[in-house]
Amino acid sequence: MTETLVLTRRAVVEGVRSFESLMPMLFIPLFFFVVNVGQAGKIFPKEGTPFLEGQGYAAFSLPAALLTAASFGTAALFLVEEIEGGYFDKLRATPIPRSSIVLGRLLSESLKNLMVTTVIVGVGVLFGVRIRSGLGGFLLLLAIMAVWATVFSGFMQLVAMKTRSAAATNSASFIFFPLLFLTPNFVPRDQLTRPMEIAASFNPVTYVMEAARSLILEGFEADVLLKCTAVLVAGLTAAVALNVRAINHYD
Amino acid sequence: MNREPHVPPGPDRTMTPAIEARGLVKRYPAKADAIEAVRGIDLRVEPGEVFGFLGPNGAGKSTTVRMLTTLLSITDGTATVAGVDVARDPAGVRARIGVALQEAGLDARQSGRELLTLQGRLFGFGAGPAADRAAELLDLVELVDAADRPLKGYSGGMKRRLDLASALVNRPDVLFLDEPTTGLDPASRLVIWDEVRRINAAGTTVFLTTQYLEEADQLCGRLAVIDDGRIVREGSPTALKADLRERAGLDHDPTLDDVFLDATGRTRERQAGDVQEVQA
Repeated sequence: MTETLVLTRRAVVEGVRSFESLMPMLFIPLFFFVVNVGQAGKIFPKEGTPFLEGQGYAAFSLPAALLTAASFGTAALFLVEEIEGGYFDKLRATPIPRSSIVLGRLLSESLKNLMVTTVIVGVGVLFGVRIRSGLGGFLLLLAIMAVWATVFSGFMQLVAMKTRSAAATNSASFIFFPLLFLTPNFVPRDQLTRPMEIAASFNPVTYVMEAARSLILEGFEADVLLKCTAVLVAGLTAAVALNVRAINHYD
Repeated sequence: MNREPHVPPGPDRTMTPAIEARGLVKRYPAKADAIEAVRGIDLRVEPGEVFGFLGPNGAGKSTTVRMLTTLLSITDGTATVAGVDVARDPAGVRARIGVALQEAGLDARQSGRELLTLQGRLFGFGAGPAADRAAELLDLVELVDAADRPLKGYSGGMKRRLDLASALVNRPDVLFLDEPTTGLDPASRLVIWDEVRRINAAGTTVFLTTQYLEEADQLCGRLAVIDDGRIVREGSPTALKADLRERAGLDHDPTLDDVFLDATGRTRERQAGDVQEVQA
């Protein structure tokens, strides 16, 4: 456990030192957020749009921005850089459990995401967003996003270890487009066209987004949170198990 | 500059060998047919030796080192390092060895001191002892002045020395150096040679792969030549030269280059680009 924490600390320091790597995590989600609110704010006014629950469209749109940020993690890119540069082997040649190497990176990703989510929610507040579930809901929102960031980074790390190529790892990150856009990110699921509704229902990101949205717009909705928890637990279990297996069998 | 060849203490075969490999094989699965990079190597390196492992590009040097250092799985055969079975107790092996690979893989965002301190923590040192050990090693490889600078500003020679220092953090019984001077200028190469001698004099067994025959001649008490995944010669540089002189009926003393060419069936024309003779 100590080794994992030592490597987590190193990865966090690395992120701070290469601050430019955090910019896509902040800039791109905020850009989409501002543009979406600017474009659709008049179509969905606070008054007369029941699914906004009395808030502006910014509140509805915020979870999409948070999920975009969580999908721009840099853990896999740093990992593949170390694989290509040879430092990964240096770490593998130490007597620590090799799982610490990947778990340290994943843990650091969740910590970085806590910071990024806080900043984006702060910008949302400037746009009039209020979190209906209060401080507890905000903390739960942070936890949900941090876990999702870990899950997504976990799968990207798998690509990094499998391909050992920065170009391939970078390309694989585009999986976030279908995952993020085949969701009810502009309107609630029941207002999507039938094919989109079916696609969104099969997309696990939908349930994370709906949970985040319910915390912002409504409060604690047990059934919504339960579905999100199931998605996160399954995703996290799979991501961690596959990462540990991948590094233990890395040859 | 000519230096005295390193003369190691005579191997003591009653002791547990520092490295022992029997029938070591590495086979990579391929679509059409498996590729056998190492084809049944037998090796025995005694404690306190500097053992050289020579061979042309692609001969199997690095693959062998990677198997012995637990970075690559062994397809067949057995190996022990510092008395510990590589396949059965890889973490036990890693705790007893130091590894400096060909690429001098370092984290460019850290400083030299941070890198060595982290390495110490990963070998189980507490924060204070890890920092003390880092300071000690920075002094050893003469990088104290650059200790707190990010590694991206280090020269190639400085990176190699730091990599060497990081391989010594745990005071290893066996040190693996995979082409430690490739790409270095002659002055930096001499510095690394001095470090290797100093490390060996302190009791550490050194297993060194190199493409530079002069380097092997200067540093190694014994060496093996690997070609196409098989060991084709093994012995001390002096014995290998004497053997060639006798077998070939030469009227002059052959060089290690001649031994290498004889062992690998290469000509001087084919040697270009494979193994280089470099006078440091």
